[in-house]
Amino acid sequence: MSSHAHAHTPAPDTGDAVPGYYQVMETAVRERLVEKKVIGAGEIRQMLEVMDTRTPALGSKIVARAWVDPEFRARLLANGRATLEELGIDFFEDTQLMVLENTDSVHNLVVCTLCSCYPREILGLPPDWYKMKPYRARAVKEPRAVLAEFGTVIPDDVEIRVSDSTSMIRFLVLPQRPKGTEGFTEEQLAALVTRDAMIGVVRASNPEKKEKSR
Amino acid sequence: MSQELGRSVKPLANIVKAEGAEPLFQAGDAVKISVRFPVGHYRVPTYIRGKRARVEAVVEPAAINNEDEGFGRNVGVKRHYYRIAIPLSELWKGYAGSKNDGLRIEVFETWLERS
Amino acid sequence: MTQTENLVKRLPTEMGGLDAGPVQRIEHEYAPWEKRCHALANLLDIHKIVSTEEKRRGVEALGQEMVEKLTYYERWIVAFANILFQKQILTPEELAKKMEEVAARHGGPQDISTKSVG
Repeated sequence: MSSHAHAHTPAPDTGDAVPGYYQVMETAVRERLVEKKVIGAGEIRQMLEVMDTRTPALGSKIVARAWVDPEFRARLLANGRATLEELGIDFFEDTQLMVLENTDSVHNLVVCTLCSCYPREILGLPPDWYKMKPYRARAVKEPRAVLAEFGTVIPDDVEIRVSDSTSMIRFLVLPQRPKGTEGFTEEQLAALVTRDAMIGVVRASNPEKKEKSR
Repeated sequence: MSQELGRSVKPLANIVKAEGAEPLFQAGDAVKISVRFPVGHYRVPTYIRGKRARVEAVVEPAAINNEDEGFGRNVGVKRHYYRIAIPLSELWKGYAGSKNDGLRIEVFETWLERS
Repeated sequence: MTQTENLVKRLPTEMGGLDAGPVQRIEHEYAPWEKRCHALANLLDIHKIVSTEEKRRGVEALGQEMVEKLTYYERWIVAFANILFQKQILTPEELAKKMEEVAARHGGPQDISTKSVG
């Protein structure tokens, strides 16, 4: 039971700090694999560069476009991965992407109770809480209580649909477009879409409250 | 895929498909998740075992059993995963939320039985 | 049924439905070594050396105590070491010697009681 609740703020990985045991292990594994030509010398650096371009901002842009472009939205819902590959977003794993649209009658929430499956090619690396016991234990059992902890109240007549990722499918929630955003540019709309809205724990932000954290 | 050419293409006759190529279940089917306890690795959480579900969609294409993959097997018979729906009230005794609240989860074909 | 069966039947990494407290909104800036560890995982999968599923199983195999006490990427790197040994890509001896060499660059033998600082 991964219950480590310490707010783990590691020391910066500079030449000054003495690397800890696991960091030494990581370095040793990596260097041996490169020395033995199992992986190429520059591949880690290249992969880090790829990873750095995958952040929630990417997801926000996708959501904003889906809000303004019904044809894009339809294609996205029909085949998430293929549609995003057309935009140049390559997937480095053998995964599929399913986009889950929130409607007036359905609110989607994503969790991985077995590990930490997450649409990393779109959103980057997940927040710690997504990978820790409380969320993973309770999202499938009492989603409404979990959402309430995030400040999200879903009316009883709206169905909550919890997707537990167990296979090759990754999920991105397409939140509902907030009211009062008619005529907004895609950039303005993207600013309303937080990472947490694409996990499904919050709604997209209202126009007046643009400064929602994350 | 038969619509790509803008006209319907009849499948050829006398084709025998590979084992597992044809999905055993279809969207709408009532199924039950098997009860068994694989040692060492599984991808079917214990909280859904033995529960009744409805198939929402067949996941294409057929793929390797991820429980085998965990031990390095990446060849062999491919079967389908199914996105299934289970009401939360079916999963948790005394579920306090809306009766419409549900789980969606992908399960490999060998874990499903017709219900 | 013996007391210990449940330890085998339920993986230490499976959380669904367990009793748990409130969600603590913990986030942290990923350390460079953690990102490198993730990059390594991606490469091992792309090169078809260690699949994502093998990595999951490797983490599960660490057992209850290590799953609870090691942080996320600490679990990954130990799991990778074990898997690479099983696949005969690395040996325990070569990795241990390499770790000594790496640790020595920073001025001392590794202290295995030191919690990871990076």
